Amino acid sequence: METTDLNLFVRTSEETISDWDRSKITDALIRETLIDHDTAIEVSKEVERMIRKSGIKVVTAPLIRELVNARLIEKGLESSRKMHTRLGMPIYDVDNLILHPNKENANVPHGPEATNLTLAERIKKEYALLSVFSQDVSDAHMNGDIHLHDLGFIDRPYCSGQSLEYIKKFGLNLPHSLSMANPAKHPEVLLAHLVKFSAALQSNFAGAIGWDAINIFFAPYLDGMSDNEVKQLAQMLIFEFSQQAVARGGQAIFSDINLYWEIPKHFVDTPAIGPGGKFTGKTYGEYEKEAQRFAWKLFEVYKEGDGSGRPFFFPKPIVHITEKFFHTQGHMDFLYHISDVASDKGNTYFVFDRGETAKISECCRLSFKLEEHDLLDAKEPWRMRYCALQNVSLNLPRIAYLAHGDDAKLFDLIADRFELAVKAHKEKRSFLEKLLSLGENGPLSLLTMNRDGMPYLRFSIASHLIGMVGLNEMVQIHTGEELHDSKKALKFGLKIIAHMNLLTDKIKRKEGIKVVLEQTPAESTSYRFARLDLHYFSPASGRVVKGDISSGEVYYTNSTHLNVKNHVNPIERVTNEGIFHPLIEAGSISHVWLGEAQPSKEAIADFVIKTFKHTTNDQIAFSPEFTTCNKCNRTSRGLSDTCTYCGSGDVDGITRITGYFTKVSSWNKGKLGELKDRYRNNEYFAERQEKVANE
Amino acid sequence: MGTVKIFYKDGCPMCPMAKRLKDNLQENNVDVHYFNVETADGLAEATFYRVLALPTIVVEDEMENGLGEWRGIVPKVEEVLHVVQKT
Repeated sequence: METTDLNLFVRTSEETISDWDRSKITDALIRETLIDHDTAIEVSKEVERMIRKSGIKVVTAPLIRELVNARLIEKGLESSRKMHTRLGMPIYDVDNLILHPNKENANVPHGPEATNLTLAERIKKEYALLSVFSQDVSDAHMNGDIHLHDLGFIDRPYCSGQSLEYIKKFGLNLPHSLSMANPAKHPEVLLAHLVKFSAALQSNFAGAIGWDAINIFFAPYLDGMSDNEVKQLAQMLIFEFSQQAVARGGQAIFSDINLYWEIPKHFVDTPAIGPGGKFTGKTYGEYEKEAQRFAWKLFEVYKEGDGSGRPFFFPKPIVHITEKFFHTQGHMDFLYHISDVASDKGNTYFVFDRGETAKISECCRLSFKLEEHDLLDAKEPWRMRYCALQNVSLNLPRIAYLAHGDDAKLFDLIADRFELAVKAHKEKRSFLEKLLSLGENGPLSLLTMNRDGMPYLRFSIASHLIGMVGLNEMVQIHTGEELHDSKKALKFGLKIIAHMNLLTDKIKRKEGIKVVLEQTPAESTSYRFARLDLHYFSPASGRVVKGDISSGEVYYTNSTHLNVKNHVNPIERVTNEGIFHPLIEAGSISHVWLGEAQPSKEAIADFVIKTFKHTTNDQIAFSPEFTTCNKCNRTSRGLSDTCTYCGSGDVDGITRITGYFTKVSSWNKGKLGELKDRYRNNEYFAERQEKVANE
Repeated sequence: MGTVKIFYKDGCPMCPMAKRLKDNLQENNVDVHYFNVETADGLAEATFYRVLALPTIVVEDEMENGLGEWRGIVPKVEEVLHVVQKT
C-alpha cells in the first residue's frame, strides 16, 4: 500500500495538520539515530500497519514517535530508542503546573512566567539526564544516591561572585543588547547598571549572584552627597533588588551584597575608580568614611523593612567580620547597628574571616577563600570574578544503610559516591565548554564577552562543589548516636568530613580541577533523599528520618548541622557545628533560630564576638519569624494563623528557609516538617537579656 | 599522668623532630598518640583541636582537659614530661 492510500491526518509539532507520510518516520530515524536505512524503512512500515489496524483518523507526532520507540525496543535497539526519544510532559502535569505553585524552590512565585520556567526546567532536566550525563550518573541521581542540583539549568553554571568595578570600568555593554551604556557618571546610574547586570547574570547562572565589597566600590560616587541622599540611594538599591519580580521566571534576583566596615587589607592600596570609569587618583583606603556611611545607611533601610515592615528577602547583606574590623574606629557602634537588624529583621549574615583569610561570599552559604593570585587581582578588582559550575550532593544516610555498621565499607562507599560526583562534574564541565566555545554567538554569549583580555566567566578557576546531606543521620545509623549525643559521635562525623576533604585534595591533584566541599543548602534535596530512603530502606530509615512520617513532612538534617530539634544552648550549637567548618572549604553556616524571641542588640553583638573569638564557625545568621497580614498590611512577631492586629486569617508566615527569607506557604513538605521541629532559642536569649539588663 | 597527642605530616620540615620527641616520650612510658593529618583520623582529630600549624603537640589529662600545647614548634622532651607529670 502506498502511504497516501491511508486516510489519516497527523498533528505535527509545527502546529500543522498534514497528510500521513511514512517517509518522515524513516527520515527521522536516519537523521537522529545510527540505524541503517533498511531497518528504518522496516520500522516505519510496521508502525504504519499498526496505525492502519487501529482505525484511528488523526494521530499526533508524539504518539507516532512513541510507537516507533516501542518498535525499536522490540527489536532490541535500545541505544537508538534513547537517541530517538522525545522530551515532554503529560497534559495532566502541565495542567497541575499551571494551576498550582512550584514547591521545589520557595523563591519561584506562581504565575505565567514561573510556569514557563518550570516547564523549561522539566524538559532541560530530562535532557540533562539523557544527554549530558552518563547512564550511571543519571541513575545515581534518579535513585537518590546523589543529587545533581539545578538540572533544569543544565546549560548554565551554578552561581557567581563579582565586583562592581567591572561595570564601573566598562559600563553596560552586553552582547546582543540593543544599546550600550558607557561607565556611569552618577550613583543612581551605577545602581541601575548594577541591577540590570544582575538580572542579565541571573539569566546565565542557576543560583546566586554575589557582589563583593559593594559599599567600598560605591564610595567614590558618594563624595559630596548628604546623609539623606546616601540613605535614598541605599533605599533604592534594596528596593530595586527586592522588587525585581520580573527577572527569570518572575523570581526576584537571588542576590548577595558583601559589606565591610573597614577597608580590607587587600583593597587598601587599590586605585579607586570613580564617575565615568576614571581613576580618582585616590586609593580605596582613602574612602573608608564614605564606604562606612553607605553600609550604615543600608542597614538603616534593612531595619525599617519594606512598606509593611516586613524583612527584605533580597539582597542578602553579608557582613565580613575580620581581625581588622575590631581595630577600626566605630566598629562597636556598627556591630550594634547590624545586630539590631539581625534581631529585629534577621537580615544580617555574619561571615568570619579570621587571621589572614579573605573571602567572597555568594549563594546560600557559598564562599570562596581568596588565594594568592586572587589577592593580586585585588589590585584590579574588575578581574575578581568567581563561579561554581555545578553542585552535587551525596546522600550520606543511604551510605550508612548500605554499610551495615562496617567502617571500611562506609568509607569505601563514600569514595565511590565521591567519584561519581566528580564524574558528573566533568560531564557538566565538558557540556558547558562546548556551549562557551561558540563564543558571543552561542547561548552563553554574556559569559564569553571579553572586555579585559579574558572572558567574563573565568572558566579555568571555576569551582566544582560537592555537598553532603544528613551527616547527623549517617552517624546515627552507623554508631547509634546523633552528633549531639557524645564527643565520640561528633568526632566520628568529623572523620567522615575529613575523609571527604582529603578526597577533594586527591581529585585536585589527579584531575586538575578545583573540587571543593560545600554545605549544600538542600532546600528540597533533604526532603527528596528522606522520601526515597523511606521507600527503599524501610524499616531502618523510619527510625532515623526526621519530621512526621504520617503527614509526609520528612527530612534529613541539612549538611553537617546538628539535629534542629535538639535543645542545645546556641553557643554550644555554633561551637560544635563550627568544628566542621574548616574542612568545608566552599562555605558553611550555622542558624540560630529565634522564633518570637527578640534579643537586645548587645546580646547579639556579644554572641557574634564570642563566635569570632572562640569558635571556628564560618558564618552565622539569626532567624526570627513573622506573620504578615494581607488585609491590614501589618507585620507581627512569631508565626500565627491569624493577624494579631485585625484578626484576619489572610496571613503569611515569613522566616528563613535555608539561606534566605521567604513565605512559609511556599515551602515544600520536608521544610515544613523541619520548621515544626526547630528549637527556638527563646530561653537562652531571655536569660542573656536579663543578664545584660542587670549589668 | 597526662597523654600526649602529636600532629604531623610527611614532608613538613620540623615533623622529624616531633617524631623523635614521640620516641623519647614513649621511652619514658608516656602514652603518645601520633596523628598524620593526611589521614582521615588524623585530620579529624587535628580539626577538633584546631591545629593550624605543624607539628602541634597537645597534652591532656584523663578527662581530656588541656594541660599544655605547642603549635608549630617542637619543645624539649623535659618540657613535655614536666607537663605530663603534673597530673
